[in-house]
Amino acid sequence: MIALYVCAGIAVYAAIRIIAERNTMRKLPFLNVVSFAVTGIIALLLPHPLTILAAAAYFVGSTLESNAIASTWSGGIKK
Amino acid sequence: MMDEYVLIACSALVLIGMTSAILHRDPFDKLISLSILIAGIFPFIIDRGYLDVAAATALIAPLSTIFILYVCRRQIA
Repeated sequence: MIALYVCAGIAVYAAIRIIAERNTMRKLPFLNVVSFAVTGIIALLLPHPLTILAAAAYFVGSTLESNAIASTWSGGIKK
Repeated sequence: MMDEYVLIACSALVLIGMTSAILHRDPFDKLISLSILIAGIFPFIIDRGYLDVAAATALIAPLSTIFILYVCRRQIA
């Protein structure tokens, strides 16, 4: 149960760090931290075989999302 | 099962994402805030046992973000 609390605390702390940060590029690593912590919460919350499938789907989806935001923000290849 | 501490933490994630999405002006900051909000709702879906709904939502929500990113893409000179 203590692992669940640690994951929840990390998620809230990283969300507060995202709000407090001014630069958009520095927000994105903390967005990844929120995604990893929520993946931990999902995997620890319910003892069921399908939970790991949902956690893996969320992990893949959130990593794809934050990397898409980062690559679009940085503007692609400079010509 | 979700007890009150995890419930408060996930509600705080949803509220932080909502407030930040309202207050920011830059569209990329708004997208990051929406991502926090979507991260906050997943433990509530899992807690009720709708695991297939959570897996489907986890794959559909980044698609919507990518479609919004096409709109607010920077113009490369």
